Amino acid sequence: MTSPYQTLGVSEQATDADIKQAYLQRVKESPPDRDQQRFQLIQQAFETIKDQDSRLRYGLFQLPEADFDVLLDQAFRQTSAFKPLSADQFCQLLKAVPVEKVLESILASKSS
Amino acid sequence: MNEIIIGIDLGTTNSEVAIVENGKVHVITDAGNKLLPSFVGIDDNGKILVGETARNQYLIYPERTIKSIKRLMGQDTQVLMADKHYTPQEVSAIILKRLKAIAENYVGRSISKAVITVPAYFSDAQRQATHEAGQIAGLEVVRMINEPTAAALVYGSGQHESKRMLVYDLGGGTFDVSVVNVQAGVVEVLSSHGDNHLGGDDFDQQIINHIQAHIQAQHGIDVAEHSKAMARITRAAENAKLVLSDAPFAQIEEEYLLEQDGAPIHLTLELSRLLYEDMIEDYINATMDAVHIALKGAKLIASDIDEIILVGGSTRTPCVRERLFDEFGFEPHSEVDPDLCVAMGAATQAAMINGQNVDTVLVDVTPYTYGTSAMGYLDGAPYPFQFIPIIHKNSVLPTRKSEAFMTFQDGQRVVDVTVYQGEDPDALNNIEIGKFIVEDLQDVPAGNIITLTLDLDLNGMLHVSAREKATGLEKSITINNVISGFQEEELADAKQRINGLFDQQSSDENDAKPESATVAQARKLIKKAESLFDTASAEDKEDMVDLIETITDFLDSSDENALQDLVSRLNDIIYYLES
Repeated sequence: MTSPYQTLGVSEQATDADIKQAYLQRVKESPPDRDQQRFQLIQQAFETIKDQDSRLRYGLFQLPEADFDVLLDQAFRQTSAFKPLSADQFCQLLKAVPVEKVLESILASKSS
Repeated sequence: MNEIIIGIDLGTTNSEVAIVENGKVHVITDAGNKLLPSFVGIDDNGKILVGETARNQYLIYPERTIKSIKRLMGQDTQVLMADKHYTPQEVSAIILKRLKAIAENYVGRSISKAVITVPAYFSDAQRQATHEAGQIAGLEVVRMINEPTAAALVYGSGQHESKRMLVYDLGGGTFDVSVVNVQAGVVEVLSSHGDNHLGGDDFDQQIINHIQAHIQAQHGIDVAEHSKAMARITRAAENAKLVLSDAPFAQIEEEYLLEQDGAPIHLTLELSRLLYEDMIEDYINATMDAVHIALKGAKLIASDIDEIILVGGSTRTPCVRERLFDEFGFEPHSEVDPDLCVAMGAATQAAMINGQNVDTVLVDVTPYTYGTSAMGYLDGAPYPFQFIPIIHKNSVLPTRKSEAFMTFQDGQRVVDVTVYQGEDPDALNNIEIGKFIVEDLQDVPAGNIITLTLDLDLNGMLHVSAREKATGLEKSITINNVISGFQEEELADAKQRINGLFDQQSSDENDAKPESATVAQARKLIKKAESLFDTASAEDKEDMVDLIETITDFLDSSDENALQDLVSRLNDIIYYLES
């Protein structure tokens, strides 16, 4: 699994400007009109590490892309016996759901 | 060699077609004009008119002529032209067919692919309708790109420093504003906003209202009941608007406009720019509000913008420049003709899709938020139609997002999914763009998981699918089928109908008829042969001149075989001379 840093070809110490420059260069090589999948990969990588906030979030939950559906399945599947998520899987689920959204729902439940 | 892809700006008032030739963008002229007025008409003999002739006919036969059809695109409606009904898609297709013919005439071979521009703020239904218009016209629409983005592509190519640009695109019927970052050969749209029913036509309408009120006050006549007089007033209003772009006053004069008790009524009215700018102030304010929304969407402020680009004929209104100057503190750019810029960008993108080397690539965003509704909360109270955004506005295209939902009743077998476009937390305040049903779900307790996936493609068109987790059961729709309801057969029928209209014409006027491949090849070889005249021996030259003469005679005949034979003989000589 390639990390977003590898996809863009930058070091983990790269600055915002470096990352942006690398992103643009990759886009120039693989514009959306030529290879959509490749472009989406680049775009996703860029959005994951484009600024300090996103890099921090990525750093905290530095896990390969979680398969949201599989995790949901495990958490909610009716047929099998109840089996709690492991800590690792819990982190993955957290990562799959945007942090803002989790916070939002916590705040909303507190206020109501 | 690759098949040619043309770039088309299908505008409310004017349309243009362009191609990239030897690395340069060329807007193709038709009888010396780069702009084809977006008018369609049927004349006395049932012949179809497109462009200037239709525009002229509008004055005499408004009931046989259609203007500004773009404003109706995406609506489930029909227009009446010479007692026959046409969908907006069909009328647009007539314009596209004409543009296609203009391009074919220029390049000398048939063309079947195009990049067509649409306003950035065009909705899914409007994009779908444009796509259908292309199909009816016999054009495969390989891509639809946003008009301000196309313009940015023209200004951005060959740009070496990085720059942030604001594209202000005020056309005949639509307004778009985009914030664009140009850097390292990438034109990156950061945000877009707009209004798909705001443009020069609205400005005209203000002047028309003014004239109507004037006639009502002077003569007590409601001129709206006289369609010919209204057509003349419409033209006069538009002309007055154009005059006011340069002059402080415009004289509106239409003699013998109407008759009252056997006496003619002449219209004479002076309109000052001041009064005109008063009339359109609300519209200009609305555009400035949109500018601010776009800036906010890009997380920028006015002073972050390095350049303003003006696109669209309506940006010639002086107060537009003034307001932008007040806001940003520098003069906007309009070096590239605001009327041609968009078509040029479309051609550039067409070349890029076609694999030609271009020095600039494009990354665009969607100006809309798409989502669905679900049981939820609104202002703290339970509410069945809470809007759940899935794709957020200003997301980079293409994009694909999923959201999981759970059934809320035990044994729930069916889920209705409605897809909305908008920003309001109450889904019912947003625009409903499609509805579909996920059926045959498992008979299980509440909490059955359904994954809804929204896919927004590079054309800005939405595809929706839903999946029941447990069974993997999939229901997929494209939003278009829900709204415009144009089925395959209907599309084919429409194509035939529009073709029929053109066939009637080409029988007695052959310039619009697309040429066969042989004819096109013949023309090309003749050109090539002529370029060899200087270097060829007298004998070879004489042979070629004879052949060219014979070929020219055969060009208009339908004897393809004879022509083919002559062409290959000419080809042999050229081959011999060149080797």
